[in-house]
Amino acid sequence: MNAVALVKQVPDRNSAFRPAGDWIDESSLGYGINDYDRYAVEAALALKEAGHAAETVAVTAGPADAGQVLRSCLAMGADRGVHLITDRAHLADPFFVARALADAVSGLDAGVVFAGLLAEDSGHGQVGGLVAGLLGYSFASAATGLHFRNGRLEVHRELEGGRIAVVELRLPAVVAVQTGINTPRYASLRGIMASRRKPVERMELAAPADGAGLRRLTLSRPERGASAEILQGSPQEAAAALVPRMRAGAGVSFPGDAS
Amino acid sequence: MSRRVLVLAERSESGITDASYELLEAASRLAGGQDGVSAVLPVADASEAEGLREVLPAGELLLVEGPAHASPTADGTAAAVLHAREASGAECILLPHDPVGWDVAPLVAARLGTAAATAVSALSWREDGIAAKRSAFLGKFVQEVEAPGLPAVATVERGAFPAREPGPALSVRILPSPVGPGDLRSRLVEVRDAGAGGVDLTAADVVVAAGRGLGGPENLDIVHELAAALGGVVGASRAVTDAGWLPHELQIGSSGATVSPKLYVACAISGAIQHLVGMRGSRFVVAINKDPDAPIFGAADVGIVGDALEVIPAVTEAVRNSG
Ligand SMILES: Cc1cc2nc3c(=O)[nH]c(=O)nc-3n(C[C@H](O)[C@H](O)[C@H](O)COP(=O)(O)OP(=O)(O)OC[C@H]3O[C@@H](n4cnc5c(N)ncnc54)[C@H](O)[C@@H]3O)c2cc1C
Repeated sequence: MNAVALVKQVPDRNSAFRPAGDWIDESSLGYGINDYDRYAVEAALALKEAGHAAETVAVTAGPADAGQVLRSCLAMGADRGVHLITDRAHLADPFFVARALADAVSGLDAGVVFAGLLAEDSGHGQVGGLVAGLLGYSFASAATGLHFRNGRLEVHRELEGGRIAVVELRLPAVVAVQTGINTPRYASLRGIMASRRKPVERMELAAPADGAGLRRLTLSRPERGASAEILQGSPQEAAAALVPRMRAGAGVSFPGDAS
Repeated sequence: MSRRVLVLAERSESGITDASYELLEAASRLAGGQDGVSAVLPVADASEAEGLREVLPAGELLLVEGPAHASPTADGTAAAVLHAREASGAECILLPHDPVGWDVAPLVAARLGTAAATAVSALSWREDGIAAKRSAFLGKFVQEVEAPGLPAVATVERGAFPAREPGPALSVRILPSPVGPGDLRSRLVEVRDAGAGGVDLTAADVVVAAGRGLGGPENLDIVHELAAALGGVVGASRAVTDAGWLPHELQIGSSGATVSPKLYVACAISGAIQHLVGMRGSRFVVAINKDPDAPIFGAADVGIVGDALEVIPAVTEAVRNSG
């Protein structure tokens, strides 16, 4: 039984994003692994280290250069990668992506499949659950803790209001992880060297059939009701303008104030 | 055109949840009136729902009854929703965009051979499908998507629709559950309180919150200094506490503390919706961010666009000199 991590290549979150057509302007963006997915990879590695998985496999669907994120998973310690090659535009539909991932996962002897709770770009937050639904695996989202007990997986799920649901899942299972569930390791130099020799299986996906899943229509900046007054000038000038506004607006006095 | 819409109703201690009332309002608008709304409530025994009929303003209330629903599970609830969908003929299923919806919506969508429109704030019918407005890039953008084909599935963002007033369901039907306890692959063991931390952020008049844009724990001194100058406490975004720069008790947001100080200073925080819900009640909000398009400026009274590492010390200095 293997531990699988589903990972996505997303634009660097510090990029200056501009809406263009039905999505963002993708020219001149840097890309990297989705932050949530780093926690998924770490969970898979930890499962193997605890003796509950034979191999760890990282799987991605994305364009040719998304092989980059598989390399970073291999450098972290994953044993092998599966790259389902498709146009970036086809990632618009989570059903198409999940269908392809499910087909790949079904051949991997997966015990636990980890996914990130959501991708930082599209934010659909459902690919892990769709894979579970398509394969008939158990599913838990928003996982902030994991324990193995008697061949069953115990997952702590983050609810609202600071509550935690403890659920027990039969295997195979898909677990969509929340950030903070673990501390993702950084790749060591040795890990990076070793990753070059690790196998990545590549498969071209057929273009999605029309009519299933989701289609992008528009992307725009949200309308802001009352937006902030932006203070101009150098940091010192802006700071000087800020202080009286803070006092008046908040109605507080500060420790240094003469009383 | 009027089409039937199904919502998942969730029980709370006193009746059904606020999120359910918001879903009922969203459904009623989409269906063109309460008549077109079906609500599904999975129950172990229909008698549990006795009082609920009077406060659940749907066209019909479908009680999916069976021991598998003694406690909620992802697959049990998904099976009940799919069963009620068939019984009602609904062409759209609305679920909450919360940990219940994240569990259930993809399982339901997968069975229907589609994806869900998630984090939705507005919905309309298309000729054959739905269109939805949703949030993308952690709240930076509003996206419109189309989900072709019916039935469609959507998860609705909290607060996007007003809560519908409680009122009676027009009819009630009991449907035997299609699943037994042995069919389920998941089991709810328990629900616990995570336990509050030692720091009481909620009592502070001034909160200075640190975000990931500060770059690393080595840059937090300036945040502590500003908090000291303002007589306040330091809080943080989740990105900062997950990274271990500050302890988890200091996290502000939907999965952390909710604060409503007189003054809130957000330092290098982007303003994701999950953060905003934790600080929206603040009287006066200051945002410092290098990105003029950061959503936090939409939730702030005053903003400074610039490098927090330069702006924060300048503000500290200005506060000290102003006394
Ligand atoms: C179920 C769920 C629950 C969540 N609960 C919470 C929660 O309770 N609280 C919470 O905070 N988040 C929560 N999140 C996470 C949330 O979605 C965001 O990911 C998080 O708030 C981002 O933190 P941040 O703003 O510090 O970091 P980022 O989003 O990375 O933003 C950093 C910001 O810093 C700016 N910046 C970068 N460098 C500088 C600089 N030198 N000077 C000035 N500005 C700079 C950038 O422009 C950017 O706007 C939750 C998410 C989910 C899915």
